[in-house]
Amino acid sequence: MNDDTLVLYYYDDGLSNQERRDVEAAIAADESVRARYEELRLQLDQLDTGSDVAAPTHMVQRWHDSIDRAAQRERVPVRSKPGQFNAMSFFWGAAVSAALAVGIGIGVIMSGSPVPVELAPNYALVDPETSSVVPGAFARGMQVHLRDTQRNIVALSGDNREDRTLLVMRIIQQNRLFERAAEQNDSAGLARVLRAFEPILLRLAADDIAPEDADALRRQLAFELNVMLTKLERDTSKETHKT
Amino acid sequence: MVAVLNRQGAPTQAEFHEVISRSSGRWFSACLKITRNRDLAEDAVQDALLSAWDKRQQFDRSAKLDTWIHRIAINAALQLLRKGRPGVFEPLEIEVESSTPTPDSIRADEELGQSLSIAMSHLSEIERVCFVLKHLEQWRLKEIAAEFDTNIGTVKQAIFRAVRKLRVRMVSLQSEIL
Repeated sequence: MNDDTLVLYYYDDGLSNQERRDVEAAIAADESVRARYEELRLQLDQLDTGSDVAAPTHMVQRWHDSIDRAAQRERVPVRSKPGQFNAMSFFWGAAVSAALAVGIGIGVIMSGSPVPVELAPNYALVDPETSSVVPGAFARGMQVHLRDTQRNIVALSGDNREDRTLLVMRIIQQNRLFERAAEQNDSAGLARVLRAFEPILLRLAADDIAPEDADALRRQLAFELNVMLTKLERDTSKETHKT
Repeated sequence: MVAVLNRQGAPTQAEFHEVISRSSGRWFSACLKITRNRDLAEDAVQDALLSAWDKRQQFDRSAKLDTWIHRIAINAALQLLRKGRPGVFEPLEIEVESSTPTPDSIRADEELGQSLSIAMSHLSEIERVCFVLKHLEQWRLKEIAAEFDTNIGTVKQAIFRAVRKLRVRMVSLQSEIL
């Protein structure tokens, strides 16, 4: 009985029923075969242990984003049917675009400032990555984020499921940015709390959530956010008094 | 009881996020063991997720979403490995010496950081991939043979060689530790 046969016996693959029975008989009858098989089994079992690595946060973030983008692409309605070209619509479309481009160009030149970026309504205007440079600024940015999230959660309407899902996904994205920023600011505890919000938000975004369940989750989130805000404000004021 | 997810039909966006948060580390690790390259492993998971999203209507609700995506990720990693190094699976019948470690593979080994990974660095590419698919991913021999478009006997030989080398390496690693 060679070791290769014992390997196949270990994997329970690649041996006929008769061959398996032969191996079993040999292990039962022959002490040396049994010892060799035991040694092989122990060594192969050992090769299983604890070999998973955690994916870095930025990778996980990229994977989350790719799903959001794929879902977003599917939501964009296709307005025109292919193969149908409307010369009149094209003319007016081109004219309006040109007028808009000229208007924006003049505006930019006159003001000397860059084109304003459109942000989601009621959303934190603080970039968590840049605000992380100064801990005080980071804390203030976090407060703004939490307050905005709280406001959005309270105002979340159950009427339009698609809008609700979109808004919750946007909150999740923003939340992940702040989670990352918290990690970069050595606030592991804060990052952990932000991470804990995500499963609740995901449940809130589920397609078939019952209105009363959504209400309960909204209340839970609003409460958690309030606790966190109060704690942050207390910490910030302590810091101010110290200085 | 909170109605968490839509249990009918295709998995929802929320379910994908949930499973990414829970299982992406495991997918990444598995892909890293196959590719020994972080970028390829990351891309494999990314490709798998997008492919799973596109095919989500085909998902069978009796299966687990994370297991389904795991399998797609493994296939994506194999595909990327083939694309990045054409002909890598051709010398299946020949005993090949392990290739010289690259910075990527060294980094992957350090990251996996386990005796298994150190021992696996001494296997040729095909031995490592066959061993990972058989031992860690529990593929059947015939599935591996189909993946590489070869016969079962050839796959068995690659696994036997891998096990032989790993056992020798594990014994020497253990004696170094002792």
